[in-house]
Amino acid sequence: MTQFDPICEKCEELIQPFLDRELSESEREEAEGHLSDCGYCNKRYTFEVSLRRYVRQACCSEEMSPELKAKLASLRTPLQ
Amino acid sequence: MAEAETDARRLATEARDRVRFEEEALELSDQVYRVARRLVPTREEAEDLVQEAYARAFRAWRSYTPGTNLRAWLMRILTNLNIDRGRREQRAPDMQPMEEGDYFLYNRLEEANGPADEERIAERLSQDSIVDALSNVPHDFRDVIVLVDIGDFSYQEAAQILDVPIGTVMSRLHRGRRILKGQLAEATVGEES
Repeated sequence: MTQFDPICEKCEELIQPFLDRELSESEREEAEGHLSDCGYCNKRYTFEVSLRRYVRQACCSEEMSPELKAKLASLRTPLQ
Repeated sequence: MAEAETDARRLATEARDRVRFEEEALELSDQVYRVARRLVPTREEAEDLVQEAYARAFRAWRSYTPGTNLRAWLMRILTNLNIDRGRREQRAPDMQPMEEGDYFLYNRLEEANGPADEERIAERLSQDSIVDALSNVPHDFRDVIVLVDIGDFSYQEAAQILDVPIGTVMSRLHRGRRILKGQLAEATVGEES
């Protein structure tokens, strides 16, 4: 944690929208350029990628029950 | 005679459109359920919410424009229903904004456990702690996180679903993710250190 440079601070702000694919092209290039040069930010970026995967796994582990699926199907309009 | 035939044809077309709409909506039900499950605290509430949303969607099918984003359309019904159910009345007290940046959680995990392979450091978080942390994020922030991170909606879609400006989506997402990380750090590493 010795490094703390204003570019890292900017990168910290860009990582979330970068992962959301919501940056403009110039911002994306800026983030990519910095991430390929800076080990400090790159480590944290890699962590954010795996964190998102973990959050998704944890929050999507419960599947819809077959009973609910059947109930939804029964809401369809009966065919004449 | 010709008129009766046109009417019959129109009814047949409408019936076909309706069946197609219902089939397409049902194909999305797993995704709708996944979002619903994280908007409300229990499985039972999520099931009720999804069922009610589908009943409403099937009644309102004519207001859906074919070719537009059906997943977002369904999600809008779902989130509106959830808000209508009065959950806003029991909204969580405003939390203190987290002043820490996005690197906060990584830094805390690293400080507490020593450096590690950054791809594996997230393994220190248990699934239960993640689910709990998300459920502790106040509704307004959580809705946006759930739509973007679990529902895979863009900022623009989330803004349309929740009927708020895109800037509000961005700021809630920003703050909500920081609150989530603060909760995770607290649950995993503890408050001190």
